[in-house]
Amino acid sequence: MDIIQKVGGVGSRWRESRLVGSSRSLAGSQHIEAVQSYLMLLPMLIGIALFTLYPMVWLIRWSLYTYDGYSTPIFIGLENFVRAFTRESGYWRALNSTFIIMVFKIGIELSIALIAAVLITGKGVMNSLFRTFFFMPCIISVAIIGLIFFLMFNPYQGVVNAILQEVGIIQDRVNWFGSKGKALTVIIVGGIWHSFGINMVYFLMGLQSIPRELYECARIDGANDVQQFFKITIPMLAPVMQVILMLAILGTMKMTDMVLVLTNGHPGGESEVVMTYVFKYFFGGDGIEGASQFGYASALAVITAAILAVITFGYLTISRRMSRIY
Amino acid sequence: MNSIPTALRLNLRIASIAKYLFLAVVLVFAVFPIIYILLSSLKTNQEILTSGARFWPERIVWRNYLEAWHLANFKRYTFNSIFLSFFVVTGTILTSTTAGYVFARGNFPGKKTIFAVLTATMFLSVGSLYLYPQLKMAMALNIHRSLWGVIIIRVFSIGVAKLYIARGYINTIPREIDEAAKIDGCSFFRIYWNIILPLLKPLIATIGLLSFRQAWNDYLLPRVFTLGNMNHAPLVVGVIGLKSTGEATTSWNLMIAGTSISILPMIVVYLFLNRYFIEGLTVGSVKG
Repeated sequence: MDIIQKVGGVGSRWRESRLVGSSRSLAGSQHIEAVQSYLMLLPMLIGIALFTLYPMVWLIRWSLYTYDGYSTPIFIGLENFVRAFTRESGYWRALNSTFIIMVFKIGIELSIALIAAVLITGKGVMNSLFRTFFFMPCIISVAIIGLIFFLMFNPYQGVVNAILQEVGIIQDRVNWFGSKGKALTVIIVGGIWHSFGINMVYFLMGLQSIPRELYECARIDGANDVQQFFKITIPMLAPVMQVILMLAILGTMKMTDMVLVLTNGHPGGESEVVMTYVFKYFFGGDGIEGASQFGYASALAVITAAILAVITFGYLTISRRMSRIY
Repeated sequence: MNSIPTALRLNLRIASIAKYLFLAVVLVFAVFPIIYILLSSLKTNQEILTSGARFWPERIVWRNYLEAWHLANFKRYTFNSIFLSFFVVTGTILTSTTAGYVFARGNFPGKKTIFAVLTATMFLSVGSLYLYPQLKMAMALNIHRSLWGVIIIRVFSIGVAKLYIARGYINTIPREIDEAAKIDGCSFFRIYWNIILPLLKPLIATIGLLSFRQAWNDYLLPRVFTLGNMNHAPLVVGVIGLKSTGEATTSWNLMIAGTSISILPMIVVYLFLNRYFIEGLTVGSVKG
């Protein structure tokens, strides 16, 4: 009976009554269906096993070894982690830079996105034109964005210095990649350029779900636009904001390609972010002493994964109030 | 007597000026880098390096494109990008609709467990940090020397977001349709192939666009797989390769023309299909 109900599903009684007679062959077709299901999933499951689960296990395993890819690996227990927590400075500096980028990038980009969304919500040719153009940077490769901003902020030939000089804001050329602060600024500007559009679209979706009546009531009670924005729009967007912030935080933590192309850690590894720092331990690159320390690199990757997990669950716990606003 | 309405009207006017001022500034910010690249690609290298804030090219030249296309191997890169995108897009459409169908309609032991494990892998992803072990695995399978490795990784480890989109869409198709087919003796796979798949055109468009954007814009994975073998490199890898290899200032025109070649197809597709683009990306990101 159980099988019949499953096969019948939501279906009609007519079919069920027709099927009762042949429950034996049904069990057979049920079996075939299961086999076909597994077979259809198989390529994907193999793919996930080989290219997601295996790398995970690989990183955890080799984080306990010294391993340079050639000589025999030596098991050293937690020594790599001890090194990371006691004798490492570059990684923590990179983590710190990542947090700085995160605070400024997210703060500015969400403000722009929210204001833009409020101003261009609703139908109309102008609004949809603005939406189309504001979203355009999101479709461009982040690596290419790194290159574009590298060219634009180039100290000698770059257009940014040229414009700033023309307008008279600066006298001499600014070396945008010459200090940590400036290099991080360029990364932040590039990051904002890439992702304010998608956040605007999320906000637009959130705005659509706010009932019109709330605004009408407020207007009758004499609330002006600014009051309506702070007393209705912002609180009602809280649940959407919870998701947006989560995605923005994780997105910024995982920033890799753009930084690699844009500053490549210059000057002297000062603008390195977490991902690029660990990436260079695996693949070599500017500013990393003695590359090919795969064991140590794996330990850093495991620590990064743990930090991401702590941030994710910590954020979800702290922000739970936001999703229960109504 | 008239003073209050006048003040109000003035306020409204200021508000509307502020609104359009803000939107104009954001608009310039959003399109400036793209227009800068497109216009600079029409300047001579000399002019690119010296024109500074002058925006419009003195004289439009196409030489940068010709040079990039013929001398800097961009013909090859473009072909590679098209090749990569084509196989990733078709492959991803097949794997994600299949998986979505199995999880939406299938009845088999362990369905919930497998789905939970797949969702969990999403949270454990550390993106670019998997690259090295992925490369090791590809070496073991001997697929690390060409773009086929990238295609296989992208197609068979499809993102959970696409799986959610596919499952969600297939759930909206009435079950009566496949039950009728089942009565007529159609097997589980035949129902997918002959009945469900042809009904999925909007879903296929969304997933196709998502994976096209991903494949066309991909950088680190193809870079790692084509290290020391630039004949297999796609556009993004090729353009950025110029930054580190060439004498920086002499190849500015090539970098700019190359950048333009790599973003133009994307922008054209976007301008025609921007609604689907925005829809797909938001669904994808919110759900995973």
